[in-house]
Amino acid sequence: MFIAFCALVALAVAGAALADNAGFTPVEPRSPNAEAINASYNWVALFTGVIFLIVQGSLILFVVRYRRGRRRRTDEGAQVHGNTNLELAWTIAPVLILVAIGAFIFYKLPQIRDIPEASAAGEEPLDVTVKGYRFYWQYEYPNGTIALDRLRAPVDGNVRLLITAPDFDVIHSWWIPALGGKFDAIPGRTNESWFRASREGVYRGQCAEFCGVQHTAMTATAEVLPREEFDRWLEEEGRAQEAGRSETFGREIYDAACAKCHELGGEGDIGPPLKGNALVNDAEAIEDVVRNGRGAMPPVGKDWEERQMDALTSFLEEEFGSGG
Amino acid sequence: MAGSPGRHTPPQWQRGRFANWFVTVDHKRIGILYIATAGFFFLAAGVMALLMRTQLAQADLEVVTREGYNQLFTVHGTMMIFLVVVPVLAGFGNYLVPLMIGARDMAFPRLNAMSYWLYLFGGLVLLFSFFASEGAPRAGWTSYPPFSTYTTGVGQDLWILSLHILTLSSLAGAINFIVTIHNLRTRGMSWTRMPLFVWSIEVYAGLLILVLPTLSAGLTLLLFDRKLGTNFFIPAGDADGSPVLYQHVFWFFGHPEVYIMILPVMGIISEVLPVFARKPIFGYKAIAFSTVAIGFYSMLVWAHHMFTVGMPDFLNGFFMVSSMIIAVPTGVKIFNWLATLWRGNLHFDTAMLFALGFLSVFTIGGLSGIFLAAFPIDWQVHDTYFVVAHLHYVLFGGSILGVFAGLYYWWPKMFGRMLGERLGKLSFWTTFVGFNLTFFPQHLLGLLGMPRRIYTYRDDALWEAYNLASTIGSYVMGLGILLFVVNVVRSRRGVRAGNDPWLADTLEWYTTSPPPEHNFDKVPYVTSARPLYDLRRRLRERGAL
Repeated sequence: MFIAFCALVALAVAGAALADNAGFTPVEPRSPNAEAINASYNWVALFTGVIFLIVQGSLILFVVRYRRGRRRRTDEGAQVHGNTNLELAWTIAPVLILVAIGAFIFYKLPQIRDIPEASAAGEEPLDVTVKGYRFYWQYEYPNGTIALDRLRAPVDGNVRLLITAPDFDVIHSWWIPALGGKFDAIPGRTNESWFRASREGVYRGQCAEFCGVQHTAMTATAEVLPREEFDRWLEEEGRAQEAGRSETFGREIYDAACAKCHELGGEGDIGPPLKGNALVNDAEAIEDVVRNGRGAMPPVGKDWEERQMDALTSFLEEEFGSGG
Repeated sequence: MAGSPGRHTPPQWQRGRFANWFVTVDHKRIGILYIATAGFFFLAAGVMALLMRTQLAQADLEVVTREGYNQLFTVHGTMMIFLVVVPVLAGFGNYLVPLMIGARDMAFPRLNAMSYWLYLFGGLVLLFSFFASEGAPRAGWTSYPPFSTYTTGVGQDLWILSLHILTLSSLAGAINFIVTIHNLRTRGMSWTRMPLFVWSIEVYAGLLILVLPTLSAGLTLLLFDRKLGTNFFIPAGDADGSPVLYQHVFWFFGHPEVYIMILPVMGIISEVLPVFARKPIFGYKAIAFSTVAIGFYSMLVWAHHMFTVGMPDFLNGFFMVSSMIIAVPTGVKIFNWLATLWRGNLHFDTAMLFALGFLSVFTIGGLSGIFLAAFPIDWQVHDTYFVVAHLHYVLFGGSILGVFAGLYYWWPKMFGRMLGERLGKLSFWTTFVGFNLTFFPQHLLGLLGMPRRIYTYRDDALWEAYNLASTIGSYVMGLGILLFVVNVVRSRRGVRAGNDPWLADTLEWYTTSPPPEHNFDKVPYVTSARPLYDLRRRLRERGAL
């Protein structure tokens, strides 16, 4: 009965040997909270694995051992109606297993919930507000710097995430598997999470709460940089954005907030083409659409700051306008 | 109580071959109507599933549009839950409860007919919403606001309307079941001699009555938010509503709903296993009591669907513990079923194969549920394909395989003819293998980070491999279902079944196949939970058998 299933398991195990885990555990953790979740996962997998083997094993054993053979339907099996001791045993044993699982979860919980002690004395966690919009992520740093979709963070530094969504938007869910569990970005509420990336690199994730037509395109990326590089970026980008002379800001806003429906080159897809569209030369008209939405388009930038709106309007004009 | 069916002669126009199905108040015909209608919706929602699997066979395919995909998973989920599993079980309950307790009909036959027709029309509202302006609902079967509040088009309103109608249908049906079970049991049938399937319908009906009004209230408030500009579920400055409130309301209904969909199936399994093991059920009272316990605890676990909304940890902890507690009575059932096989004389007819298949895969679904109950682990796997895999192991591997076991078991009673065994076995193996190939890899996809409800995914070799395996599996499973349909068609010329082809234990096998309109000419006094077994033994003792 289980040949196919066993074959599948064998195949998947072979796959696991090739890739590092092939999906048999959550992805390779790169943050202490994700590590503790993986440890919890393995703990539960241990018990459930044993129960799995007991149940499927005895099922197969009984099916083979007590098969009909040459007996007729009128031949009775053993007329056993029950056994109180046995039944008590398989009521109590699961209780003990669940106590073991529950206790381990609570034991691991502080490592998952609480931001660890800072490595350097006096080092404060970096607070980043994470806001979910249809269909992009906006990150706001303490110095006012804004980034979209790509979250930059220093390696080995505590990052506290304040996850929310603006009142006019819908629920999203912030999730980068290697950096820990997901938390919903809910209009009118703020959820707290954190990570402390142990290695430089780019980590990917995506929105995990269905939020509309381009939910699929709402990806999240965390780029973990060396500390000095991160500090330099934050300061320079912050100053440039404030002065309205950031070279990348307009493009970043467009790619995150516009391109998912209007395409990277403005060719149009779900939304109308922007390339050659008369609207792009009219900053006020753009602002009106972006702030209030139009037709199927949600108000993607209803609460943007002026400098963010300016960065987008000048980008649109340069890129797709009559001048460009 | 049930009027006096059979005594009055219906007018001529009601006696036609088709017309009598429209006016019938006979619980057996209504049961068959329920099962057939649910079968139709099952095929429709199954086709939707195959379309989705085709879209996901590889990354970046364009088999369906993005909005189309969202409509498909919304209607597939809603349909499978509200129009397939719940009503097919109502169908089994309708057909079997009066027969099993030795009654002539349900307590309120006309109310029973009303339940069915409400169900049919509620279902058609949902099905035809594909033709509404801007198409079918597309906010998922859970329809979380604010998204479901802001969705344009009338699809979402039709979704609400459809569920309102179905809620009324189920509520009337549930009241009918409870009144029937409490009042119409035949002589000698005490609570501890009642078939376990009837026990499960008792709890099924009780849960429906307790939780459906909550769903109705939530849907009504959602409709107000959409149409009247209220803000129960959307934050709006000073008059603050909360999207999380909807989730509490929805899951207070939604989690018991899960048990509404599995308890009667567990009842079916508890009927099938002993008959094909030629043994009594192991631990009748433990199984009956665990049904009640599961029903009770199912109302205390709802927020385990909401671990990621940011509840305080004492609530997360409470809902983790309460969810794990349910594993205990569920485990009791599984071990008692296994013990029922022990030292049996196992006959592997198709019904038994499906029941054993249920036992195997439902266990996997139960075990993956423990990962989801442990809330920090849920933070990783919530809303991913791990959940999709888990819920299909429980709902397809559990409910649907169990329903097939029931169909193969009771088909001869319903239609007087056997379903083909060879085709049945082929259908079982195809469905079983296809099922595991479809859904097992989805656990792995979820752990790799693939969220649910996305129309395409990352261009990655492993993701594509698992998705392709899943799609191939879904076609194999579709073939298995198709073989069942062929079997049904061919059963019109199948082997004639006597009253009791399986030498079963419960009262429905005492009467003819199919039973007459009034069910029984005479009901034997019930001396145990296995009245027909007792009867056969007495006959044997007297040398009459």
